[in-house]
Amino acid sequence: MASSAAVPFWRAAGMTYITYSNICANLVRKCLKEPFKAESINREKVHFSLSKWADGKPQKPVLRSDAPEV
Amino acid sequence: MAMAVFRREGRRLLPSIAARPIAPISSPLSADRDEGTLGVRSISTQVVRNRMKSVKNIQKITKAMKMVAASKLRAVQGRAENSRGLWQPFTALLGDNPSIDVKKSVVVTLSSDKGLCGGINSTVVKVSRALYKLNAGPEKDVKFVIVGEKAKAIMFRDSKNDISLTVTELNKNPLNYAQVSVLADDILKNVEFDALRIVYNKFHSVVAFLPTVATVLSPEIIEKESEVGGKLGELDSYEIEGGETKGEILQNLAEFQFSCVMFNAVLENACSEMGARMSAMDSSSRNAGEMLDRLTLTYNRTRQASITTELIEIISGASALEAAK
Repeated sequence: MASSAAVPFWRAAGMTYITYSNICANLVRKCLKEPFKAESINREKVHFSLSKWADGKPQKPVLRSDAPEV
Repeated sequence: MAMAVFRREGRRLLPSIAARPIAPISSPLSADRDEGTLGVRSISTQVVRNRMKSVKNIQKITKAMKMVAASKLRAVQGRAENSRGLWQPFTALLGDNPSIDVKKSVVVTLSSDKGLCGGINSTVVKVSRALYKLNAGPEKDVKFVIVGEKAKAIMFRDSKNDISLTVTELNKNPLNYAQVSVLADDILKNVEFDALRIVYNKFHSVVAFLPTVATVLSPEIIEKESEVGGKLGELDSYEIEGGETKGEILQNLAEFQFSCVMFNAVLENACSEMGARMSAMDSSSRNAGEMLDRLTLTYNRTRQASITTELIEIISGASALEAAK
């Protein structure tokens, strides 16, 4: 890969671009005025259950829920 | 043995009932038969009446499910079509390389959590398995990430050693980008890949859904391919602002591309699921209606036959009395 001299701070902290853009989107949502703010936060709720597998067996599922990733 | 004889007799009396397989109805005509005084076996009207009632209820339920699926479809369809614009610029920029040969492929299979939606889940699983066969080889590695309960159940049977992640309950809240991007992020963090192949049902119309594969490459592979030339080779002719390197931008782009493609794929799959459920429930209601018609005919015939038998008995009894006088 090319030189990593100009790695942005969030990449150096281990975040992916997706996480970064989600955080930014959340900040924008928090800046809205009242009825729109509640609506937009309501719209972007996250809920799913993820389970990793090892050797053909599922392990305990992790429920990722509620507020969108912050 | 008695049941076999009964079935033979039943077939003589009811030649028009052919057993049409509908999933919810499975109870055969039970052994409640009415043996008249002459030993004639006939199906009692009570049994037919019960069966008619249950078929009618099932018809109502499937009709209601069809309406629900139609309304949900209308809601999701607009969003799915709008989300197509999210990944089109990526394909214009980076090109589409479905036949790329990489060491580590990850197949992301999208399916539904609920059933009664026709054959869409099995087609997706078939395509995933075909991709596996295509991409497996001596140095090559294929892993599965499964979204949705239905595909998990099917794939568990024979490919369970290749599954690395399963995701369920995605449809609990209305689908939105935040959710899918968190999911994409999890997949990126947990699975190593050179190429991601997302298998989903693309929604063409209410009756047409085709299984499609969308390919997203990792940034390292994009760099390698850009050296080779072709669409990706033209990336160097773009000016990069902001002091980032090409590798940086490629990485951001690849992650964002994955997230956008996943979002569109999830929405299209949801549309296809609703469409498939609509048509499945529609044909189910139609079958139930036909079954109801045939049962009504049988019921009437049985009823008339029993009335005729009673009349004959009464009349012959009366005439016997007359003759005896």
